[in-house]
Order: sequence, then C-alpha cells, then structure tokens
Amino acid sequence: MINTEKNSITSMQFIFIISGIQISVAVLSLPRKLAEAAGTDGLLALPLGYLLNLLCGYIIIMVMRKSSEKSLYDTLSKTMGAWVAKGFSLLLAFYFLHLMYDGLVRAILIVKTWLMPNTQGYVLMILLLFPAYKIALGGPRILGRYAELVTVISCWLPFVYLFTLKYAHWLNLLPLFKDGFLPVLTAVKATIYPSLGIIAVFILYPYLQKKEKAVSALVISNSITMSVYIFITTICFIYYSPHESTVFNDPIISILKTIEFRFIERIEIPFISFYLFVFSLVWIPCMYIASFCISQVFGLSDHRFPLRALVIVLAIGTFFYLPTYNQSDKIELWLARFGFCIEYILPSLLLVYLTLYKRFHRRAAS
Amino acid sequence: MIHAENEMDKPEQEDGILFNLDENLKIVRNLFSESPDLFIRTFTIKQTQEQAALLFIDGLSDQQAINNDVLRPLQVHTEDGKPGDELMMTVGHIIEESRWSQIEISLLHGSSVLLVDGRDKAYALGTGGWPQRAIEDPQMEASLKGAHQGFVETSGQNIAMIRRYIPNRELKMRRLIVGRRGQTNVTLLYLADVMNPELLRSMEERIQKIDVDVILNTGELSELIEDNPYSLFPQFVLTERPDSAASQILQGRCVVVVDRSPSVLVAPVSFYSFFQSIDDYSTRWSIATFLRLLRLFAFITAAFLPAFFIAVTSFHIEIIPLKLLLTLGESRGQVPFPPFVEAILMEITLEMLREAGVRLPAPVGQTVGIVGGIVLGQAVVQAGLISNVMVIVVAFTAISSFILPNYDMVAAVRLIRFILMILASLFGFVGIIIGLMTMIAHLLTLKSLGMPYGNPLAPVRFSDWKDTIVRAPLWLLNKRPTSTLAKQDTTQSNDKPEEGKP
Repeated sequence: MINTEKNSITSMQFIFIISGIQISVAVLSLPRKLAEAAGTDGLLALPLGYLLNLLCGYIIIMVMRKSSEKSLYDTLSKTMGAWVAKGFSLLLAFYFLHLMYDGLVRAILIVKTWLMPNTQGYVLMILLLFPAYKIALGGPRILGRYAELVTVISCWLPFVYLFTLKYAHWLNLLPLFKDGFLPVLTAVKATIYPSLGIIAVFILYPYLQKKEKAVSALVISNSITMSVYIFITTICFIYYSPHESTVFNDPIISILKTIEFRFIERIEIPFISFYLFVFSLVWIPCMYIASFCISQVFGLSDHRFPLRALVIVLAIGTFFYLPTYNQSDKIELWLARFGFCIEYILPSLLLVYLTLYKRFHRRAAS
Repeated sequence: MIHAENEMDKPEQEDGILFNLDENLKIVRNLFSESPDLFIRTFTIKQTQEQAALLFIDGLSDQQAINNDVLRPLQVHTEDGKPGDELMMTVGHIIEESRWSQIEISLLHGSSVLLVDGRDKAYALGTGGWPQRAIEDPQMEASLKGAHQGFVETSGQNIAMIRRYIPNRELKMRRLIVGRRGQTNVTLLYLADVMNPELLRSMEERIQKIDVDVILNTGELSELIEDNPYSLFPQFVLTERPDSAASQILQGRCVVVVDRSPSVLVAPVSFYSFFQSIDDYSTRWSIATFLRLLRLFAFITAAFLPAFFIAVTSFHIEIIPLKLLLTLGESRGQVPFPPFVEAILMEITLEMLREAGVRLPAPVGQTVGIVGGIVLGQAVVQAGLISNVMVIVVAFTAISSFILPNYDMVAAVRLIRFILMILASLFGFVGIIIGLMTMIAHLLTLKSLGMPYGNPLAPVRFSDWKDTIVRAPLWLLNKRPTSTLAKQDTTQSNDKPEEGKP
C-alpha cells in the first residue's frame, strides 16, 4: 500500500524528526513545570524521564520488529481484523492532531504575545500553514530533509543562552534532593509532555533505510532531546532564583531579555521569529502523520486529500476560535494524559498481544 | 502538378534521387523555389566525362573550399576514367546520400551537394563555413586565473574545446536533433564510466520529448526540460566556459551542447553549484573557502536585507539600540513615506538602472551610472524623499547580488527580494521567517534531473560539504560528489604533499 522505496529516510533524518517533535514547543515551559513540581530538584527528574523514554522507545521498536507486515497497520489488520486496525489508525490520527494543534496554538499564542499583538490569530495560522502544507505534502523524505536542515541552521541557538552565564548562580542548584526523593518522582510527570512524539516511530519505521539501527537511532534522538532539556533547564535554574522559576510563563524566552548586544536590543524578538523553525518541527510531521492515518482509515491511496481538508479546516476553524493561553494549558494537560496512554501504555499492550499472537499462531500452525 | 500528384501516390520512390541530372535539377528547383541564395553550378567532370551539378547555399558554405577542393580537382584533367569511377576531390568529409530529405538537410546545414548524371546518389561535401565569431573571453563568467576561452555559436568547436580538457575515449556523446523546423543539433557529453546511466537516460528522454519548431538558445532548452518550470530557481547551470563544463563532466554530470548557442547546459546540479566559480580551484583553498562563504552571505543579504530593514523600521523598532535609533531617526525623520514604499521605490529604481545598463552601448551606459549614482543617489536624499540609510541598504543589496557568480541565480534572488519585502511589510519578522520557511520547503521539494536540489544540506551529506560550502585542499577532494550518483566515485589518491626537507 505504501511505497517505502521512494520515500525512505536515513537514520539521521529519523533522529531529527523524532527529536524535533519532542523538543519544539515543549521546551518553552519545561523549566517552569519542573520547578513547580520539585523546585530546582526538577532537574534530577530529567534523567529519570530519559530512562523511561528509552524503555518506551525500545518497546515501540520491539513492536515494529514483531510486526511481520510492512507497516503496523497491515499487521494489525491481519492479526486483529481490519476494523481494529482502522480504529487504531483513527486513534493515532486523533493523537497526532492533538499534538499538532497544541503546537500550532502555542506558536501562534507566543507570536501574538511577543511579536504581533494586533494581528488576528487566523492570519498567523494561514501563514504558518503555507510552508507546512508544502512540506507535509512531500512525505517522510521531505520531512526528514526539513528536520535535518532546521537542525543545521538552528544549532547556534543554544550558544546564545551561554551569554546568560554572566549572571549565573550555580549555588541555586544545591543542595540536591532538598525535599527528599518524592518531589523528584512527581516531577517526572512533567517530563512526559516534552517527551511525546516517540510514537511517530509507528509510522516512520517502515520508511527507515537501516532498520537494524533503529534502536540506536532512537537512543541518540532521546539523548539529544534530553541534553537540550538539561542544558536549558540548568540555564534557567541557575539564572532565576528557585522561586522566580515558576513565575514566568515561558522562562526560555524571558531569559533572553537579559542578553543585550551593542548592535541589537531585545534579542528575544528575532529569536522568537527564528524559533518558529524549531516550533514547526512538531506540527509539520504531525500534520503528515495525522493525514496519513486518516487516509488509512478511509482506505485512500495517499495522504493528499486528508491533508488538504485538514489545512482548510484549520484555517477556517481558527477564524472562529483560537484558544487562549489558559485553554492551551488545558489542552497541554489533556495531551500529557492522552500521550501517556498512547505512548507508554499502548505499545506495551501491543507488544504483549503480538508476542502472544505469534506464539499461539505458531502452535496452531504446527 | 503531375509531379506533386506522383509524390502523393508513391512518396518513397519520389524521395530517392533519379539517374537523370536534368530531372534531378528540376526537383531541386522545385524544392527550393524562391530561394535566390541557392547556387547551382553545372559542369563536366573531366575525369569521367560526366555531367554534374554542384549545389550550395551562399553564405553557409566556404567559397575557398568549394573552389579549391571541389571544383578545381573535378575540372582539371588528370587521368582518364570511366563513368561511375570514384571522383577525385580533396574534401575530408563526404557522405553519400540517396534521399532528397537528407540532401535538403545537408544543404541547409551548409554542406554542398554534388549531383552526377547517371548516378542515383549524391555527395554531400563538408564545405560548411558560415559566419562565425572568434573565440573570446567569456563575458558573463570572466575569470582571473582560469582559461580565457569561451564557447562560441558552433557546437563542433564547443565540443572540441571540451575534448581538449578531457582527451579520453570514455568521453562519449549522443547526438539528438531537436525542433521540427530548426533541426538543432543537440549533443549530450558525458564520461561513460562515471556518469550514472539512469540520469543520462532521463536527460535523453527529456530532450527527445521536446516538440517545438525551433530552439534558438540553451535557455529555451533548459526551460523545456526543467523539473519544475514554475520555480523561481534555475535548475540547470548554463555556462560559457569550457573549463567549467569539463570540470562538471569530470564530476559525473552531463553537459548538453546546443548548436548555435554559446552556452552549454549542465545537469544535474544543486543549489550550491550556482555559488561556485572555476577560480575557486585555481586560487588557494583558504581564500576560495572564504569567497564561497562570502557568496552565501551575499545571497542572504541580497535576498533578505531590504526585507529585514522594512521589518525593523515598521514593526520591531524596539530591537534597535538607542544610539543607533537616534541616528536612524535623524535620517528617517523627514521622509514622508513608510519604509516599504521607500524601499520599493529605491529597489525598482535600482532594477531599472541595471536593466538600462545591460542594453545600452558602453559610451551611453556611462551616463546611466552618472544619472543613477549622482542624480538619484544624492538628490533623492537631499530632497528628503528617501532616507540615507535606505540608500545604503539598497546599495549594499546591489553589491551583494553582483557577487553571485551565476546570472540565473541573481535573477531568482531579485524576485525573492520583492516577495520578502512585501511579506516583511505585512507581518514583520514573522513574515520574513514564513517566507524563508516557504523558500526552504520549495528548495527541499525541488529537483534537478531528479536529484535533490538542496544537496548537500538537505539531505545532509557531510562528505560533499568540503567542495560546496567550503573548498577543502585539493588532496582531500578525492571523491566525486554523491549528488551525481557517479559509477566511479574516486578521482584521485593524492596524499598531502610532503614538506620539503632542506
């Protein structure tokens, strides 16, 4: 059904797509959420979250290895029946629509607050959808190239944050485990939302050129994500005092206010505009995956029609309704729960089912 | 009338040449009616005592060659022969033709045709000699250290110039004829043991698919075989330099030489091919790397600087530090237009000046410079219509676009600049970023002969970076670019030259 030959992606592209979906908008509020849960100890929750993600990523890859057919959809329709497979695709489509909508709304809200308060939300939406449509139309290969290119052109971003080190108070981080181990464990919950996106492997795995390297690719992509998070969170925690960290909505952007060069003031303005590239790494792949899943549900030959419909609905929908910041926070909250079920629980269930199915099937056959 | 009817009845038989010379000449006069430039010279061949006629088109054939190498040997009595003998002519290029359609083509391409009474075949003699210009320094791509030979309008000479650089029997050619009326000779040159055969076949198929009256220029050919003709970006490199063409062939690309056009087409290429110049390889690698990065920077400023200025002055005035803001305010204070109008006015003026300079003859062209530089540059600022800063921005943009070595890419940049200016005036930085994102999306999907255009940045191929974004020392460039999918990828096994010991 799908042509994976012409659309194959390299391991590097795979890594950057996954990391891109994870980082994009989630990085903005991560330090605040960690601080809310555990103060500066929130930093310690990140490695724990990382381990959790590795485990979950491994399970997802195992599911893909176990699935004998070309794609997971085919495997499911073979083992559980066409309707279950369609239901599964629909679920994934909903999930990725959710992820995409969250990313888009976040980006629009941030642009509206910081750059263009007078511009209508739907105008920004239409602007953002323009390149997104063009890239999502191209399929995994173009997505992969886009993710790669964006990574290359935005690798200078972290270095700008080093300028804040002038005002760093390393002592903020100490002592470790100030309130014991429990707050750290609760802070792990905050790392779930920024790690969402590994599930994209379900769709992208068939396109991967070197499938035997999938595990290491996933480890690398999770490591990239985690090191970015640790870096950013450390910067925020050593800059802001422990109580201040929870005050700012998007500490990553607010922190830029302190950086000043001779030739440019308020560096956050060009920075946020450039950040749109990083933000776009969540909604563009999700847009593709969602429309691909919808095309599977309806048995369409490619994802073009769902994608077009999606773009039009988004543009018109935003004209009537755009969530506010608080509503977007709620969306995020729901997304974290939804995502936990989809990304951490569902793959394990699938793995168990597929293993059992194989065992029974083999026994039945022999 | 009878003749025409006969032709209708049995066209194949009529296409052949008859034995009778008078009949043949009648057919020729019929075919070439109202063509006073067709000359028919009838004479008797001394050698065989046969009646013969020599046909040629005045101006397309070399008079000297016809007089000395054809007419003289045939009319001077040498040894006795009988009718049907091989004729004595001192011409190298003789083809026997027996069909009128072929004779017509040979005649129109400059050959002279010898018809002999009693023979049902004609001799097309390679005495072509049409108006030609001398080989000169290529104007569009001047180089400091490279060769000073540019392509001319004759494909034979152009091919010879390329062959001088690659005297190897693996340099193969495919000759195709394009155009129903023009019958343009289009030659595909490639290295048989390097060039990827699928790309070659794709190129050949594309050229064969063309069905037009005539191709006047390589540019036309390139538009007809492009992957995406709606794109702003050129997808093939057109070069006037034999050394560039040869170097591209050696990299595993193919070159299309079009007769009557002084530029050849190179495919497949990527975005970065337009930022390379042949001088990069003859200068030291450090300066070549610097120049390549400078060109990339120039591309960015040429496309983005006016848009950036508009965005800053009309949306994000707060990012300018106070001191700079004061200077800027002083300059912009009395300007009655919004920044966008100001920028568009100046940019359009610049484009007009540039276009005026291209067409005008050199002595008049100087006036354009004076009018542009002094009258517009200075007077407009003194009159308070345009700010000083805007003039600087526009001048900087112009200089940046002059740095780019390829004209087609500069043309693309000029259009992109206007689009970005409009976007910036509507949405500030967000508009610019959206424009950039759309441009990237477009570049990602664009292809040149089916190969990704964004290579080696998207898809990332680090091994190709050393001869695109930078120019590494030559001994490191031992692989052909992966973007050409060359069959043989190693070009050399040079080591770093050893330091001389005293």
